[in-house]
Amino acid sequence: MNRPEIWKRYRRSRLATFALFYVAFMTLIALLSPLFPIDPDAIDLRSRLLPPHEGHLLGTDDLGRDVFARMLHGARVSLTVGFFATLISVVIGSFFGAIAGYYGGAADWIVSRIIEVVLCFPFLFLVLGIVALFRPSLYTLMIALGLTTWTNEARYVRAEFLRIREAEFAQAARASGARDARIIFRHLLPNAIAPVLVSASFGVAFAILTESALSFLGLGVPLPTASWGSILSTARENINYAWWLVLFPGLAIFTTVAAFNVIGERVRDALDPRSE
Amino acid sequence: MGSYLLRRILYAGLTFLGITLATFTLIHIVPGDPISFLIGHAGVATIPPATLEAIRHDFHLDEPLPVQYLWWLRGAITLDFGRSIVDRRSVTDRILEKLPRTLQLNAIAVLLAALLGIPIGLWSATRSGRPVERASAVLFFLLYSLPSFWVALLLMEFLSVRLGILPLIGMTSDNYLELDTAGRIADRLRHLVLPVLTLMYAQLAIFARFSKSALTEVIRQDFITTARAKGAGEGAVLWHHALRNALIPLITLFGLTIPYLISGSVIVETIFQWDGIGLLYYDSILSRDYPTVMGLTVATALFTLVASVISDVLYAFADPRVRLGEAAT
Repeated sequence: MNRPEIWKRYRRSRLATFALFYVAFMTLIALLSPLFPIDPDAIDLRSRLLPPHEGHLLGTDDLGRDVFARMLHGARVSLTVGFFATLISVVIGSFFGAIAGYYGGAADWIVSRIIEVVLCFPFLFLVLGIVALFRPSLYTLMIALGLTTWTNEARYVRAEFLRIREAEFAQAARASGARDARIIFRHLLPNAIAPVLVSASFGVAFAILTESALSFLGLGVPLPTASWGSILSTARENINYAWWLVLFPGLAIFTTVAAFNVIGERVRDALDPRSE
Repeated sequence: MGSYLLRRILYAGLTFLGITLATFTLIHIVPGDPISFLIGHAGVATIPPATLEAIRHDFHLDEPLPVQYLWWLRGAITLDFGRSIVDRRSVTDRILEKLPRTLQLNAIAVLLAALLGIPIGLWSATRSGRPVERASAVLFFLLYSLPSFWVALLLMEFLSVRLGILPLIGMTSDNYLELDTAGRIADRLRHLVLPVLTLMYAQLAIFARFSKSALTEVIRQDFITTARAKGAGEGAVLWHHALRNALIPLITLFGLTIPYLISGSVIVETIFQWDGIGLLYYDSILSRDYPTVMGLTVATALFTLVASVISDVLYAFADPRVRLGEAAT
């Protein structure tokens, strides 16, 4: 199936088209958030825990910081972690998946055993362990997430390589004397990108969910950096009356994660000739 | 069957070695001496060099890395992960003390999720393409995207803070010991509701989606068309032919969900102060209790490994295509 055809099938779902616009909108917010005039970390103890009003559109938190500004900055943190963690995981996963699928045999066997080992660890244990052993920071978090979530991408790429490694264009490349590395990276990998896109979309959703969970537990992005999870964790101590601290960051995490999941699901359906 | 079983167990052994090797490597790529890793730099400074040397010898730290790994492996095999830095008790004892609480919570959540999710999933598979099926698909998708810690906060906000009908956190009330038996059971059940709800909704969505796609997959196959062509009623086709084939893959799902459940327990147990291994892991990370962190990591990975071997073997028993197919390759 060619690309315009897939796009046409994709757009048939209004929800998925909306999700795509929503993600684009969120990305824009994340990129532009430093331009917002209110400092997300400015403490003002005279205006603690104010409900939403004109001066503070989404109210203030327990230190009098503007929740709207912190939400905007949180979008930046969440999407940065989401995209870069997934990028790391796609690179590692594609590498292992390509080797396993292209060479088969012993290489495939070894990669399968490695994946089996990674999948045995409770995912959050590994991420928390890595983040805690090394200094917690945005980078540690992204690397820890990338190192632990590549198995899906590896399986997708492996399956795709098994399917296309004997395709005519691959044989033609081999016949013309191309080296393995060239065949893998220049010829096969670009053709295996579609399923990677699907798992990457789910991956971004998962990374955002995990980052906010860790920040909620106080083990993610170090304070005072604003993230959706850390705003929610201040809500935990003020659950009796600060409803705005519970509602807005939660909605932001939920809608963003749902949007990426909807996109992934829809791309998968659009690629699957059997659906509809 | 015998050869399949043998190979599966052999692979599990290799995976076990991989798990221990990965954990061992993780400990050793962290900058710093393992002793300061265990008791902190300040602690090391107070120890006389001769004592330090003796400690290094006792812990086999003066031997080459591969030998150290073998010592560590021996500890992992005998489930001896050393002592906690926090209270000097054996890590294994601490884990075994808290494990039943986590198992109780997760078993109830998984059971309820399966009992609700599987029938809903199967039912929606038979309504393929209709509005009700599409709506339920979207609903499950959204359920799956809900952050559990947010759901927990919302449940606490409405059911505990506003309505006051359920306890906010903990496993029992403060006056638990004064209650009679019936009162104690009721008290425990009331404390279970919120954590179970928080754990189960995502599981429910997974069960529903998985069983739905499994049944949809089976319905597409030729033998179902054959059954229909022979004149079997739609109910009989589903009940006798499709359902059995669709439910077998669910066996593997039980093995696969364990690491996710344990991960979820960290979040849920921390929020609700449920004193299981998830909270233990969280507390150990905060107090830098590395023996407990490493012990829990290896122990839960082992637990997952054993569960996945069991579910694979059960799967092979239930579905001859698996063991015969494996033998052919």
